[in-house]
Amino acid sequence: MISFHKAWQKDLPSGRYPSMRMAFVILTQIVSARPPGSISPDLIAFGLKKLRICTLVLEKCLLTNHSLSEVDIYGLIEIFMGGAGDEEPPSKRIKSSPPEPGCLVSKSFSLTDNITPLESKMANSLISNGDEDTIGAKGIIKRSEFIRIITKAIYSLGYSRSGAVLEEESGIPLHASTVDCFRKQVLDGDWDGSLASLHKISIFDEEMLKLACFLILEQKFFEQLGKEKISDAIKTLRTEITPLNIKSNRVRELSSCIICPSQHMSLAFVKPGVENLNSRMKLLDELQNVLPPTIMIPEGRLEHLVEQALNVQCEACYFHNSLDTSLSLYTDHHCGKDQIPCQTMQVLRAHSDEVWFVQFSHNGKFLASSSRDNSTIIWEVLEDEELLLKHKLIGHQKPVPMVAWSPDDCQLLTCGLEEVIRRWDVRTGECLQVCEKIGLGFISCGWFPDGKRFFSGITDRSICLWDLDGKELECWKGERIIKTSDLAITNDGKRIISMCRESAIFLLDTEAKLEKLIEENQTITSFSLSRDDEFLLVNLINQEIHLWKITGDPKLVARYEGHKRSRFVIRSCFGGFKQSYIASGSEDSQVYIWHRDTGNLVTTLPGHAGAVNCVSWNPVNPHMLASASDDNSIRVWGVSLLTQRLKSTGSNGVHHCNGVSLNGELIDSCEP
Amino acid sequence: MMDLDPRVYDNTTVNDNDIRNIVFSYLVHNCFKETAESFLTGTGMHQSVDYFIDMDKRKAIFHYVLEGNTIMAIELTAQLAPNLLEENQDLHFDLLGLHFVNLVCSRNCTEALEFAQAKLTPFGITQKNVEKLEDFMALLAYEEPEKSPMFHLLGPERRQSIADNLNQAIIANANFPAYSSMERLIQQATVVRQYLHQELGKDGPPPFSLQAFLKS
Repeated sequence: MISFHKAWQKDLPSGRYPSMRMAFVILTQIVSARPPGSISPDLIAFGLKKLRICTLVLEKCLLTNHSLSEVDIYGLIEIFMGGAGDEEPPSKRIKSSPPEPGCLVSKSFSLTDNITPLESKMANSLISNGDEDTIGAKGIIKRSEFIRIITKAIYSLGYSRSGAVLEEESGIPLHASTVDCFRKQVLDGDWDGSLASLHKISIFDEEMLKLACFLILEQKFFEQLGKEKISDAIKTLRTEITPLNIKSNRVRELSSCIICPSQHMSLAFVKPGVENLNSRMKLLDELQNVLPPTIMIPEGRLEHLVEQALNVQCEACYFHNSLDTSLSLYTDHHCGKDQIPCQTMQVLRAHSDEVWFVQFSHNGKFLASSSRDNSTIIWEVLEDEELLLKHKLIGHQKPVPMVAWSPDDCQLLTCGLEEVIRRWDVRTGECLQVCEKIGLGFISCGWFPDGKRFFSGITDRSICLWDLDGKELECWKGERIIKTSDLAITNDGKRIISMCRESAIFLLDTEAKLEKLIEENQTITSFSLSRDDEFLLVNLINQEIHLWKITGDPKLVARYEGHKRSRFVIRSCFGGFKQSYIASGSEDSQVYIWHRDTGNLVTTLPGHAGAVNCVSWNPVNPHMLASASDDNSIRVWGVSLLTQRLKSTGSNGVHHCNGVSLNGELIDSCEP
Repeated sequence: MMDLDPRVYDNTTVNDNDIRNIVFSYLVHNCFKETAESFLTGTGMHQSVDYFIDMDKRKAIFHYVLEGNTIMAIELTAQLAPNLLEENQDLHFDLLGLHFVNLVCSRNCTEALEFAQAKLTPFGITQKNVEKLEDFMALLAYEEPEKSPMFHLLGPERRQSIADNLNQAIIANANFPAYSSMERLIQQATVVRQYLHQELGKDGPPPFSLQAFLKS
C-alpha cells in the first residue's frame, strides 16, 4: 500500500490530477492485497465508483487551487479503503472500517474531520451519496429502486444522454453490468453469449430461467429458418430447445415450421421482410416480462405508479362530479362540494296538480314530467341549461304516474293510473298509439332495448309485451306481480326485473330461464336500475334505500337513509359522474343526495313546498338534477354560477357563453 | 363364468361344414398358406384356387409392413392391386408416414425432412391430416424420438395396425369380404350381448367377454 500512496503524492504537487491509469494502478494494488477468489465484478465496479468520487474531489480541489495536506490525502484514502473493505454493494450503508493492517494509515481519522478543509457542501453531497437507503418522508421508498425507475423513465422518453448522466452521477446503474451485457448480446444476435450471460445473472427460479432460454433459442431458430439454414435450425431444435423439456406444444409447432415455413411464419417473431433488429427488440420486451423486475425494470413502471396515485386520488375525491377530468400532478386532486348541483336554477310551474314523475331522456336533451292533472309535459333542455316547455301531452283521463323514454328518445310512453298507455312522438307531440285492454288497466310501462317493443304491468297482476302496432306479443301471468309494479329491463334485453311480492323483487333471465330473488324485510315501494345494469336501487317503506348488486347472486351493497317517507311512493335514482351519487325525493320537501360508495349523505336541498315524489339526474350533464313535487312544480338544480364560469368552455357542450379562456383570463358575464 | 345354462346349447346344432369354412377363412385371411393347404387336404374340402394366388404376395406385403420396409410393401401393392393406394388415401398417408418414422429412427434427419417435404406435405389438406403431419414433424425435434410424446408412432402396434389395414384393403379390392368370418362371429356375439344388456339391464345377460368364455 505504501507504493500507491507515494505514487499519488508524486502526481499531485505537479498539478496533474490522478489519471485513470493511476486509478487502475491503485485498483490492482487493492486487488492483489485481497485473498484470491474474493473479488467479484460487482466489487470491482464498486471500487471504480469510489475511485471516481475521489477523482472528482481531487479535480475540484485542484481547480480551486486548494492545497491538500497530508491529512486530506489520508482522509481520501480512508474513504477509499473504508468503502472497498466492504463486500456489500453500494446501496447498503457504508461503514467506515479501520484501515487494513499493513497499510500506511495508522491513525484512525473520522470521516468528517478530514473533509472540512474541502468544500463541505460538495463533500456532504458526496458522502451522503449512497448513505441513505430510503427517500421520502415515510422511508418506504428504496433509494436505489427509485433512481432506477426514474432512469428507466428517462430512457423511455428518449433522453439517453440524461439517462447516462444520471446513472453515472448516482452511481446506480440501470442494469447491472451483466444485464447490460446480456441486452447487448440479444440485440446483436449473439445467442450463445446471451445464454451464457443469462446463467450468470442470478435467477433463482428454474422455470423462469428455462422460459427465458426458450425464448432466446426460439428467436435463434426462427432467424436460422429465415436465412434458410434448415439443418442448423433442426440442430438448434433438437439439441437446445427440446432438452429444456418445457412447452412441448410449442416445440411441436416449431417442428412443423420446418416443413411449412410460409404457413407458420405467423408464429414467429421474425416476419419475412422485417428487420431482425425489430424482432430482437420484441424479444427483449418478452424477456423483460419473463424475468423478475429487479433484473430488468419493466417498461412504463414510473408512469404506472403515477397513474395509480392519480386513480387513488380520484376515487378518494368525494365530490368528484364533473365531466372535466384533467388531473394535475402538481397538487392532489380534490373537488369541492360546489360540483354537486345544489342551487335551484329554475322552477317550472306548468302543471296544475301534483307532479308525480320526472325523467330526463337518455341524451339529456329533454325532460318529461307527468302529473296528477292527467297531463304530461315534455321540456327541452337548451344550450344554456335552461328548460323550456316544448309539448303538453293531453289525452289521459286519469293521473299519470309513470312515463318512459324510448331508447332513441324519439318516443314517449305515458301510462294512466289503471287506465291506458299512450305512445307519443316527441318531436311533434302527437299521440301515435293508444294501448288498451278492455276491462283492465295499466299501471306501469317500459321499453324494450330494441325500441320496437314495450311492456306494461296490468292490474290483473300480469305483464304484457306489445309491439308498435298495438299487438300483444306475450303475456306473463302469475301471482307474482302486485299492484304498484315497477318494471325494468336491462340494456341487453336479457333480464326483466319486476316486483313479485310486497317485499321481493324477481329478476328473470329470459335467456337462461333463471329467476333470482331479492328479498327484503320491508315492503318495497319502487326501484330503479343503474345504467350499467349491475345495480338496483330499492326504496323501502321504512325510509331506507338499499343498493343491490344484481350480477351473479344478488347482494346487498349499501344503505342510504335520512329521507322521509310515510304515505306516498317516493322514487330515487342514480346520478352524477359515473353514477356515483344517489338522489331521492322525500316527504319533508327536500331532495336528498348521498355518495354512493360510502353511503354518506352529501347534502339536502330544500326549496319545494311539498313532498318531493321523484328525482331525475341528467345522464349527460352531471350538474343538472330535476325534482318533482306535490307543490305542482318541478325544480331544476344546478351548480353555482361561479362554478359554471370556471368550467372550461365546451366541456360538456351545453353552455357556450363563458368560461376561462386559453390563457387563463376569466371572460366576463354570460351571453344569453 | 357361464351365464347361460349349458344345456341350452345342446339344443342348437352347428353344421360341421360351416365350422370348417370359418376356420378356412381365418387361415386364408391371415395368409397361412401351408396350413390352409393341409387343412383342405385333411378335411377334404374343395375350394376354388382363387384364394391361393394372391396369398403369397399378400403375405410378403404384410411382413414388409411389419418390418417397416414400407417402400417394398408399396411396390408390391402397386403390382398386386394397382390404384389401391390412390383410392385409399389415408392408408397411403399412413404407409408413407411409417417410412418417415423409420428414417427418423435411424437418425437420418435430412433425408427424413426431404422425404417429408416431397411426399408427405401434399397430403396436408384435411385438418386430420394436418394434425397427423404435425405429429410426424414433431418427431424431428427430439434427439431420442422414443422418449418424445409421439413415441406411439414408432411402436410395433402401429405397424401391426397399418399392416392389418393394408391386408384388408387388398382383400376387399379383390371383392372378397374384408374380415374373416371368425372375427365377425365374435364381434356379432359381443354386440348382441351388449344390446341385450343395455335393454334389459340386470335381468339380461352380462356383456360378452371372449376371455371369460374361453376359460369356461
